[in-house]
Amino acid sequence: MVTRNKDLQKTTESLLKKKDSQAPSKKPVSVPGDNPVIYPLDLPESDARLQTPAVGARATRPDGRLHGLGQTKYIDDMSFPHMIHAKILRSEYAHAKIISIDTSAAEAIPGVLATLVGDEIPVNTFGPTFQDQPVLADTIVRHKGDGVAAVAAVNEQIAADALEKIKVVYEPLEAVFDPQEALKDSAPKIHGDKTNIYTSKIIKKGDVEKGLAESDHIFQRQYSTQMVEHVPIEPHASIALWDGNGRVSVWSSLGRITLGREDLSRTLSLPQSKIRLIGTIVGGNFGGKNEITNEPILALLSKKTGRPVKCVFTRGDEFISSTIRHPFVMDYTTGVNNDGKIIARKIKLILDGGAYCSWTGTTIGKGSILAAGPYNIDNLFVESYAVYTNKTTTGAMRGFGAPQVCFAYESQMDEIAEKLGIDPLELRLKNAFTEGSASPTSQQLQSVVLKESLKQASDRFGWKEWKK
Amino acid sequence: MKVEITVNGEKKIADVSPETTLLKMLRDEFDLTGAKLGCDVGDCGTCTVVVDGESVNSCLMLAARASGSEVLTIEGLATFQKLHPVQQKFEDLGALQCGYCGPGMIMSAKNLLDKNKSPSVDEIRDALAGNLCRCTGYTKMIEAIQEAAKEINTTNAL
Ligand code: FES
Ligand code: FES
Repeated sequence: MVTRNKDLQKTTESLLKKKDSQAPSKKPVSVPGDNPVIYPLDLPESDARLQTPAVGARATRPDGRLHGLGQTKYIDDMSFPHMIHAKILRSEYAHAKIISIDTSAAEAIPGVLATLVGDEIPVNTFGPTFQDQPVLADTIVRHKGDGVAAVAAVNEQIAADALEKIKVVYEPLEAVFDPQEALKDSAPKIHGDKTNIYTSKIIKKGDVEKGLAESDHIFQRQYSTQMVEHVPIEPHASIALWDGNGRVSVWSSLGRITLGREDLSRTLSLPQSKIRLIGTIVGGNFGGKNEITNEPILALLSKKTGRPVKCVFTRGDEFISSTIRHPFVMDYTTGVNNDGKIIARKIKLILDGGAYCSWTGTTIGKGSILAAGPYNIDNLFVESYAVYTNKTTTGAMRGFGAPQVCFAYESQMDEIAEKLGIDPLELRLKNAFTEGSASPTSQQLQSVVLKESLKQASDRFGWKEWKK
Repeated sequence: MKVEITVNGEKKIADVSPETTLLKMLRDEFDLTGAKLGCDVGDCGTCTVVVDGESVNSCLMLAARASGSEVLTIEGLATFQKLHPVQQKFEDLGALQCGYCGPGMIMSAKNLLDKNKSPSVDEIRDALAGNLCRCTGYTKMIEAIQEAAKEINTTNAL
């Protein structure tokens, strides 16, 4: 247990004791008939809920009971009378012009109630930073996860079968998959602009060239990280109902319902007052459920059919069409003196942005600010570019760029330590932020216990002994 | 086609199309939504139920194959009086976060404890090998299963 104030401990203990003695005796509840008995009615008790000092008390998760009983209702566990099911057809190509889409054969299948294509969507663009992503692609597909048409049918099987009957004629375009290739003049321009760079950032502090020139040693290396999919065990799921009053209700596994409502309002051209977005318990988010995906599609399919429409992503949809973590290509040049003091660091980050912007604005900001690591470096230069490629859209994922740059700067710290013959821990302690240190963007940092943490952690896992 | 099975001690009949999986039948025909769909291909284990004493991925088993079987789902574990020790310990130790993997995890663990009253950590890991959790890591779950085993052995409760 964490050390804490003795008086607090006493108060907590006495309160906890009191609570135990006051706890109602747990009487079994009698069950009428011989129905299967399924849930105990006494509520889980949480010590942290009492008016006690909560630190050090064990907290019981308020949702743990229903999770364990299998009674938590996620979106896919909900259904409504007359509900129908939607499926989305994804692109055949990473980059292509859409010449035509013919849904008539799909519509002819018994059980299919409606189809939808991009040009039926009132405002067919969305995105949390720039609105550069179509809800359903109508003129160009920019990666294989782009939806091109949707079907609503009485059950999922019929909807899935109907997708195969939709005829899409494409004219394939040259595609680019490597962010460094995408920077070249000769690369196809994915959004038709002059460049594939869609956002950038520069951070300057001191004089990096002078600092490098004055350093005893220069370390230079390129690091890169890969795509990562969140893989929430619950796939994206939503249900939409466009009711007879012209109001739209959407139940969704979305983590940001107010933002989602704005996007629904834009794409559907409906005032927000006519849209109700109901979030529920999310079966894992990790950043991947921070923006709308198919919600406007379901709303419009519901408008066409008058029925509630549900769509649950397949695991395949999840991998190719939901967002993923940005792969980074990171060039680090660091000047260090013989004693291990870092004098200057120059960094270039290239973020593989995939087909659309999504949460890249946040990622490039955080990645750039954190790129130098938690070290006092007087001379710093960071330049970062996010680049479109014909790949799965990259967006929010735990840390927004922080883990990528951490991999680079900590790898380089190890290389420096090895080359200079300095203990890797000592090297970090020598350069680490302390109380009042300034971040690369001149934020004065408070409550900095980095050195203390490093020392405590290394003592506990026996760093010195391990080194021998 | 007609499928007759016993679910959580109750006889049930459903008329389903031949491609219907056991998972789909439990969820759509019997409204037992505890077992979940995570991948539909046998990778994640969130659809785990116990069929005739064996834990199975119900997304991989056709409903017709389960005809005549005894099926236990998460809904059949607790009683009004008492949570199953695995459920209780998962709750006490905070072994679940989003909870989506929970029903499958708990069924796998329950099935393990039915067969092996004092499993080693390795045996627990083995039993959970087919169940993925993206939120918690597995440490708390393993602890919870060990504690549940202790409780079952001391009280001989179940
Ligand atoms: S849904 Fe059955 S194993 Fe994933
Ligand atoms: S608790 Fe979220 S997947 Fe296990």
